[in-house]
Amino acid sequence: MDLLWQGFLEALRLLLGGDEALYEIALRSLWVSGLALACAVVVGVPLGGLIALTSFPGRRLTVTFVNTGMAAPPVVVGLLVALFLTRSGPLGQFRLLYSNWAMVIAQVIIALPIVTGLSLAALQQLDVGLRQQIAALGANRLQAFFYQLREIRVALLAAVMAAFGGVISEVGAVMMVGGNIKGQTQVLTGAIVQETRMGRFANAIALAIILVTLAFTANFVLTAIQQQGRRV
Amino acid sequence: MTEELRAGAPVLEARGLSVRRGGATLVAVDELALYGGEVHVLLGPNGAGKSTLLHALNGLEQADGELVFAGRPVRSGRDRLALRRATSAVFQKPHLLNTTVKANVESGLRLRGVERAEARRRAASALELLRVGHLAGRRPVKLSGGEAQRVSIARALAVDPLVLFLDEPLASLDPPTRRALTDDLLRIFERSSMAVIWVTHDRDEALAVGDVITYLERGGVVQTGPALDVFTRPATASFAEFLGLETFLSGRVVHDPDGSTRLLLDGGGELHCGDAPDGAAVVAVAPEDVVLLARRPDEHGASLRNVLEGTVKAVAPSGRLLRVDVDAGGLEIGALITRAALDDLGLAVGSPVVAAFKAAAVHPLSRHERQQPSAGNTE
Repeated sequence: MDLLWQGFLEALRLLLGGDEALYEIALRSLWVSGLALACAVVVGVPLGGLIALTSFPGRRLTVTFVNTGMAAPPVVVGLLVALFLTRSGPLGQFRLLYSNWAMVIAQVIIALPIVTGLSLAALQQLDVGLRQQIAALGANRLQAFFYQLREIRVALLAAVMAAFGGVISEVGAVMMVGGNIKGQTQVLTGAIVQETRMGRFANAIALAIILVTLAFTANFVLTAIQQQGRRV
Repeated sequence: MTEELRAGAPVLEARGLSVRRGGATLVAVDELALYGGEVHVLLGPNGAGKSTLLHALNGLEQADGELVFAGRPVRSGRDRLALRRATSAVFQKPHLLNTTVKANVESGLRLRGVERAEARRRAASALELLRVGHLAGRRPVKLSGGEAQRVSIARALAVDPLVLFLDEPLASLDPPTRRALTDDLLRIFERSSMAVIWVTHDRDEALAVGDVITYLERGGVVQTGPALDVFTRPATASFAEFLGLETFLSGRVVHDPDGSTRLLLDGGGELHCGDAPDGAAVVAVAPEDVVLLARRPDEHGASLRNVLEGTVKAVAPSGRLLRVDVDAGGLEIGALITRAALDDLGLAVGSPVVAAFKAAAVHPLSRHERQQPSAGNTE
């Protein structure tokens, strides 16, 4: 118990003292996960819309793949990305393994099915009559899509929150493809693992506090947007 | 686009229009024309294809055949979008967007590229027209069913449509709300030159609002024409049955000094009727209220104030009873009697008979008479 308390006090001292290495790791985490999330939203929402609002052969199988992807273990994603990016792999020529870009790619693959799957489910649930009404209001296809997204914005923000939670907290993929290299590719989760292994509990606790605070702040902002003008 | 319409030309015209799905034809019409200033009712039982036809007419549903809007053929997706942008639609459910009432009413205008200030002004005036200006800042969940439907109609009218499509707009409202909204809609239509297509399965609603009625059954048009003609002369037995087997008559109500009310029939003759305001009216006589007699009733039958002498025109089974159509000097009255009564009276086609009914059995129906001349007609 004493260890925990001492660790907590030391963590506070590090945080308030503005430990540069600590904040650099936090910023890298935010950058990697934030960029991955943005890519997943930009691709995943239209993809979800395409699957939800059109019919094509193999649609059901596609939905199954997307749903399976939502539960993909990060280490498996990490393994796949590593296999592709390793020097002898198909994308080896780009020399991306053990870089921040490799971590972004892995996290996009983790976040994309979550955003796609949840937005397609929300769009599918939208009343067909409302869809017709939007078309009857004079919307072209693109306008109709954006109007529908506005109608499912609560579910859409839940998808963004779920995806952000998934990537900011995962450790398997980033460590496999980023290498957890201090000062270069180390992010919060990898750093927590390393500091704990080395018995530097104060540092681990400080990093954990930052990680939880980041997750809380992001979800606080997203929830505020989501609950704006609540229906009931 | 209004300038492009030739005077007297239909604003929307369908020729050989059909909607097929999975090999089955859901609805097919040979010809249907819609004119500015006219309320055209698509009437029929559930599953008749009314809503499908409405969707095909406003470009929501792809259809085979020819559709001409404002003189231009509607063929491509782009044409259908242009059609939807020059018209608007209200469905049974209000389908309001999850935003404020004001933003809902502005939405159609914003989608058409109307700038914000102008959209705001036109939305406010549409809300006032529907008497819901005070709800502008509310969200749809805070509205009653009637208020929500008024907002939906305001949203449709805000874009100043050439054609207003109404798909059972009153079906989910309670009777008082329905009456109030009908009155307001008729007031608005009277001042407007837009064409209205109104889908309903309610014959009273059809009669109250329609200038022209097209009756559909099993995906096809059974009869089309001016509302009174269609109601007073249903073309098929099944349509007559849909109308409740009642006899519909049109005429003019007059009040006598003795307090009684008479209906001077358009085709000549008169009937004593239930209380109704002076002026043009349509009345319904239910066949179960009509008594058939071998001769005129004596003084004991004095409450049967309408006594018509005629001949039996047709006898047909109707459930466990028989429906007897009597031709009383050009006036056709239906009566429901038992088989035993038919035998007692010795009735057969061509037999002389007396049809009698009380003044109270003559029910005046609400009927809106449009003052403004329509831009065209279907005759």
